[in-house]
Amino acid sequence: MTSDLILRDIFFKKYRGDEIQKCIQCGTCSGSCPFAPYMDYGPRQIFAMAREGDMNEVLRANTIWFCVSCYNCVVKCPRKISITDHMYSLKKMAIEQGIKTPDMLDFYHAFNFPVEEYGRLTDTAVMAKFGLRHPVAALVNLPLGIRLALKKRLGIKPRPLDNLPGFRKIMAKTEEIEKIEKLIMAERATMIGKPANQDTDKKMEKPEGVL
Amino acid sequence: MRYGFFPGCSFEGAAGYRESTEAVCRVLDIELAEIKDWNCCGATSYWSTRDMKAYVLPARIMALAEAQGFSEIVNICNACYSTLRKADEKLKNDGELKVKVNLALGEENLKYSGSLDIRHFMEVIVNDLPADRLKKHVKIDLSDFIVAPYYGCQLNRPWGDMDDTENPVLMDRLIKRLGAKPLENYSAKTECCGAAHMVAHKNECIILNRRIVKDAVVKGAEVISTLCPLCQFNVDSSQGRNGLPDMPVIFFTQLMGLAFGLTGKKLMLNKLLTPLKKAV
Repeated sequence: MTSDLILRDIFFKKYRGDEIQKCIQCGTCSGSCPFAPYMDYGPRQIFAMAREGDMNEVLRANTIWFCVSCYNCVVKCPRKISITDHMYSLKKMAIEQGIKTPDMLDFYHAFNFPVEEYGRLTDTAVMAKFGLRHPVAALVNLPLGIRLALKKRLGIKPRPLDNLPGFRKIMAKTEEIEKIEKLIMAERATMIGKPANQDTDKKMEKPEGVL
Repeated sequence: MRYGFFPGCSFEGAAGYRESTEAVCRVLDIELAEIKDWNCCGATSYWSTRDMKAYVLPARIMALAEAQGFSEIVNICNACYSTLRKADEKLKNDGELKVKVNLALGEENLKYSGSLDIRHFMEVIVNDLPADRLKKHVKIDLSDFIVAPYYGCQLNRPWGDMDDTENPVLMDRLIKRLGAKPLENYSAKTECCGAAHMVAHKNECIILNRRIVKDAVVKGAEVISTLCPLCQFNVDSSQGRNGLPDMPVIFFTQLMGLAFGLTGKKLMLNKLLTPLKKAV
């Protein structure tokens, strides 16, 4: 398990999560979130916990996976914090840490699969892939699937790109760049605890711009 | 009027969205020129899972559009619209990120420079097309037809520069120009439909969709008009599970087609799960 301090550093520096130092804990985000009732902690609490350094718990919470990207909180936040973007960052960090996550990650994998394969997707391809890992959900959605099939609205295989080899080359190159970035971050993480890191903690004591 | 057009992955399978969009474009003499060899934008799935691919996917679409000589990209899906716009904004303001993205795009000899306007087709119809040019094609009297304008999330949020974030009015305006009545005080017009969470969190999403439908029912709407394939699918497919009377959910392009006197067959109204019974 990666230490809370390292995780907070990755969140604050690599993902610019230190923007949450501006948070005044008003709770407008949690109040406007359509999925807050189902979250382990509302977004307000998540940001408080991240500031306090309880990062492993933040990454384990279902909160980040329930964020649906509706941007309700973002337009209402009196401190103009890009909350949705921070949720994306925390999701990616949870993946990196291999933290077991709720069903949404399986859905995202099902979504990304045809994109990587063909450059495009069909809704049916995503549902089928998700259904393989979640037979109960597949069963629940079966009647809907039949209704859609009767209306000829199911097409499993996406129309592949004309230049699929070119697209794949781009994606491979992108993966290479992502890999290099990760290595750089890992290298930086080993520096944590050394004097250079004191900066972050000073900022924690005197958050800039907090009322 | 000619625009670069990004149809996105859901356009084809959405209930008559493609057919009705093509039909009204013919009537209005608008050309939506498909960006050749477009790929999936990645949507919230890639924002949630990948650092760099989340930018490269929309950047490839924009680079293709630039190479094909377009100055604008018109979207018909809220998620595509917001993904392209979000990527465009970040890339414009982050030179380092732009260099990395272009390094990857170079594998296909493509380059993103950031010269495009990212737009939504509904907004194009309202803002670019003079009202009288639209109105002269209206052939059917829809003055008794009360339409609930449902905008969903990723059109006005997070930006709020095209329209108001709380109470957008662009589609209301379109409905009026078509001679129909936009539902007044439709509070749920920007509520979230649950988007892709419908797959993994169906029960929670049904509750959200109930509010969108209930508000329209209580206030007397006969139909809900949408502008995003995922919104349309979620609100339409939640019917019958929320204990409310059926409320047909159509695309704004189908509403336009109805006003123009196009047949239900042409607009593929038979693809809707909840049938539009009213004979218009």
